[in-house]
Amino acid sequence: MSISSSAQKQQRGATTASEESAAAPPITLSERSSTGLALLRILVGYLWFQQLFWKLPPTFAGLYGYVVRESQHAILPGYGTLLQHTFLAGCPSLSSPVGCTAFVPLAACVWTAELLVAISLLFGLFTRFGALLATILSVQLYVGLAYTEWIWTYGMLVLLALVFVAVPAGRRLGVDLWLAPRLRSAAQRHRLASIASWFV
Amino acid sequence: MNRSDTLRRGLLAGIFASLVLALFDFVTDGEPGNGFPGVLHWFGLTMSDPTISHWVGLLLLIVLGGVFGLIFGALGVLWWLLFEVVLANLTNHASSLLSPSFGQFLSSFPLAALFGVLLGAIFIQWQGQHEPRRPS
Repeated sequence: MSISSSAQKQQRGATTASEESAAAPPITLSERSSTGLALLRILVGYLWFQQLFWKLPPTFAGLYGYVVRESQHAILPGYGTLLQHTFLAGCPSLSSPVGCTAFVPLAACVWTAELLVAISLLFGLFTRFGALLATILSVQLYVGLAYTEWIWTYGMLVLLALVFVAVPAGRRLGVDLWLAPRLRSAAQRHRLASIASWFV
Repeated sequence: MNRSDTLRRGLLAGIFASLVLALFDFVTDGEPGNGFPGVLHWFGLTMSDPTISHWVGLLLLIVLGGVFGLIFGALGVLWWLLFEVVLANLTNHASSLLSPSFGQFLSSFPLAALFGVLLGAIFIQWQGQHEPRRPS
């Protein structure tokens, strides 16, 4: 009995070991790797932060030339037309936004979204939300401008943003370090906290 | 954790946070480190030799980071917001507490706030790593 039981245990043990080796072992980031990723996150946040200054409110004039270029070179059929009927609606000139009917409010939305990305990534505050927003903005830039510059310029921006959607980089050197455990414990009681905890 | 440990952690966290801010000067337009002489200008100092002013500016930034880290270690987080406003206005040479220019405010306040967040986050992380673990 004891011999057969021991043999069964050995067999079970061997099966478990082979199952474990077949399955991919979980990856745990070391403290140094997490801090390194957090530093990268801060630098990417600074990238977005710097780009706020050449299209400052109230006119957002710096953005205008890029929107015009996007409307002319978009790789997605119909995207150029969409821009012409929204951002560029009623614009009398291709060199200045003066006279455009909807440019300023729409440009304000773009600028605010970029500000949110910068704050989120710099401070590690709802980092994955910021990274998701950065992905959307970068994809939009890729669609509009990819073939006007080095093709990978905006492609890399998309990929960088996706890295920070995948990895919770705000939990080191960021506010998410403080926020994540609190949201996790509140998530059991509040639906909103549960949703918010996806983004840290 | 005793007082000297707290101060040492504050000092190192401040230095690390200021090094992160110094890193930003290597990803700006123009030559790397062009912003370091600006640190001297916060105190009304100028140096004729550009190389020396770059290095002295960097050194002053690190020393300032260390000093603020020490104060953070000594006083804690409650005075943090006040410090941010003062630091942001120091870098602006603003005469009033809240700068009237949006562009100037945007270029300085978020980075001053980032310094504060980094300082606090590094301090808390190190505190967590060095705290004695209780048996479960």
